[in-house]
Amino acid sequence: MKKLKVLIGGIGNVLLGDDGVGPYVAHLLNACYEFDSAVEIEDLGTPALDLIDRISGKDAVILIDSIDVEAKPGSVLPYRKADIMRLRPAVRMDPHAPALVDALLSAELFSVCPEEVLLVGIKAQSFEQGCSLSEPVQGALLETISVILKELDRLGVEYKVRECPAELDTWWSSESPLELSTC
Amino acid sequence: MSKRITIDPITRIEGHLRIDVEVDNNAVSNAWASCTMWRGIENILRGRDPRDAWLFTQRFCGVCTTVHAMASVRAVEDALKVEVPLNAQLIRNLILIAHALHDHIVHFYQLSALDWVDVMQIPNADPERTEKLAETLSPWTRNSRNEFKAAQDRVKAVASSGQLGIFMNGYWGHPAMHLSPDVNLLAFSHYIQALEYQRKALQVVGILGSKTPHIQNLTVGGVANAIDLDSASALNMDRLEQIRLLLEDVVRFINEVYVVDVCAVAAMYPEWFKIGSGVKNYLAVPDLPLDTAGTSFDLPGGYIMNGDLAGTRPFQTASDKVFRDAVTEDVTRAYYQDGKPLHPWKGVTDPDFTGWNGEKKYSWVKAPRFNGQPMQVGPLAQVLVGFAQGHPLTVKHATAAISKVQAVGGIKVTPDMLHSTLGRHAARAIRASMLAELAQKHLQLLTDNIAKGDYTVFNQPVFPSHEVEGVGTHEAPRGTLSHWVVIKDEKIKNYQAVVPSTWNASPRDLSDARGPYEASLMNTPLARPEEPLEVLRTIHSFDPCMACACHTFDPSGKQIANVKVL
Repeated sequence: MKKLKVLIGGIGNVLLGDDGVGPYVAHLLNACYEFDSAVEIEDLGTPALDLIDRISGKDAVILIDSIDVEAKPGSVLPYRKADIMRLRPAVRMDPHAPALVDALLSAELFSVCPEEVLLVGIKAQSFEQGCSLSEPVQGALLETISVILKELDRLGVEYKVRECPAELDTWWSSESPLELSTC
Repeated sequence: MSKRITIDPITRIEGHLRIDVEVDNNAVSNAWASCTMWRGIENILRGRDPRDAWLFTQRFCGVCTTVHAMASVRAVEDALKVEVPLNAQLIRNLILIAHALHDHIVHFYQLSALDWVDVMQIPNADPERTEKLAETLSPWTRNSRNEFKAAQDRVKAVASSGQLGIFMNGYWGHPAMHLSPDVNLLAFSHYIQALEYQRKALQVVGILGSKTPHIQNLTVGGVANAIDLDSASALNMDRLEQIRLLLEDVVRFINEVYVVDVCAVAAMYPEWFKIGSGVKNYLAVPDLPLDTAGTSFDLPGGYIMNGDLAGTRPFQTASDKVFRDAVTEDVTRAYYQDGKPLHPWKGVTDPDFTGWNGEKKYSWVKAPRFNGQPMQVGPLAQVLVGFAQGHPLTVKHATAAISKVQAVGGIKVTPDMLHSTLGRHAARAIRASMLAELAQKHLQLLTDNIAKGDYTVFNQPVFPSHEVEGVGTHEAPRGTLSHWVVIKDEKIKNYQAVVPSTWNASPRDLSDARGPYEASLMNTPLARPEEPLEVLRTIHSFDPCMACACHTFDPSGKQIANVKVL
């Protein structure tokens, strides 16, 4: 069977509190698991339309991002491609505001959007300037990872737990909210 | 009776550009630009190691990562008085150029072309006729009827599906749109092709910076690229050749497609040479240094006041004393505690949010001023400053673009017409073609220097025991960027970033002078005030980038601008 090309991308700004959860999870996955070479794990920051380039040519993409929705902070909510595609793009007032929805809609127009899209959303508590995650979002990290691993299982993508966790490269963060041995 | 229109892209996370205009007799009679998010990220840097600052500033904005990294290392190098080896200067220059080429292509095609191109007219185009038209404009080999037909089919599929997707919010059929269906198709096919070339430009950034979107190769005092012609993992002749090939494709796209399209749009919308001028004070800093001390540059800097090109004054260095001493930030009309305009090294960021009030405070953006005056920054400022100074490369590319517009449109174009909405687009295209030429030059300079046996990439910085100040500047895709740092005991004591969009989106100041966005909107005619396409055209021509900082996904799908007519 052909190996699926997969991108796991953490999206968000690491200087704005819980918005950094996407990049944090990307680094956490890298520290705790080993993946097949066809799996790319990236801290994408806030790529706006450059996301089109990143997802182009992949078979499946899993994105991790903070969300703002009526829910308890720390809730982990999955969204599929169809959920995202029915949303309206942003009016490009500030031409760089276009974010996830615009990038996926554009990628679809250009015929480069992967078939399999999963957005793992984590309800944020705070977007105040700062380099740490709130307690409820810290508490959601393990659940987020398990949702991602389940998606990989569903896609038939192999991974294994590192016997000895690698160094967690979250250079912006002054504390380590999660003991690596627990993941 | 005047109407008030507010354009405010609503997302739950605030942090976007909001524009308010008053409209009298279908023309803008007053305007306010504001930003809805607090920009106090600089406070995070206090107390940190100055050598790490660039990693943090690179995260200010997801689109302008590289530029904030570069301005930050330059600020610290200026404070520590450390020179940068020639290889490092050239590697940095190539990254900056490749990033800018990517950025300018994205700006025109993905972000503003559809202000001028009516996608819904494309089904009426004739691909064969479009091919004939294209032949008269450019030698681009992909201007073929097959490419045009494929692009047209894409639009037809979207239009007939009833799911407009990315086109859902366009002002299609607006009376201010008047390209022929064939020209709409031509431009749209390039909008699709642009994706490949913007990616190639980004690959150059990735090869030299070792990663995108966040480059890894910077360090205060140089770069961390190992140069070793015998090592497969270092920067070697194979990598340089790979960059050369990528640049070749990008350069061809810029010259044969992007510049041509901008000239064609300009030729067909000549009325927009008379709209959108606003603030005619221009500011640009010199960039692309050619020596280790930063005394000679491939892009000139300087300033122009009141549109007086003959009276332009140059900046000799990237941290020219005239520039350093002239910059202040005014908070009279911004949501900060009142105080005198302050120099960035003395800058304070104490928020005082009072809610939008057009008569008082109304924005989170501070008002940067140069000798107390609002300044327009961006490619137009850079091109005008170079043109006014007789900079040969600028004159060459500006003259070529102007001739092209004249030839296509059968109109007379004078440099004075560049003070306009179209002038900003034209200047960005001119700058792109200058940078395309410089990309190849700087790659050659780097290759030659390495071939001579110079592998040096880094000079060790030394911290003095006393307090020091530095400014790092960069002429970024959106204009003059400056990072200001105060260092004491090897730690950051103060840090301020004065970003291009702060200059352009600045609110009024203590003397009530409007910022560039605000001034540029005055007297703009609006065919349908409830569909303010003309306002978007002018604002987009500046290439604003306000708050890429926060990109939280809003699953409610309410990401639509709220255009309120009061």
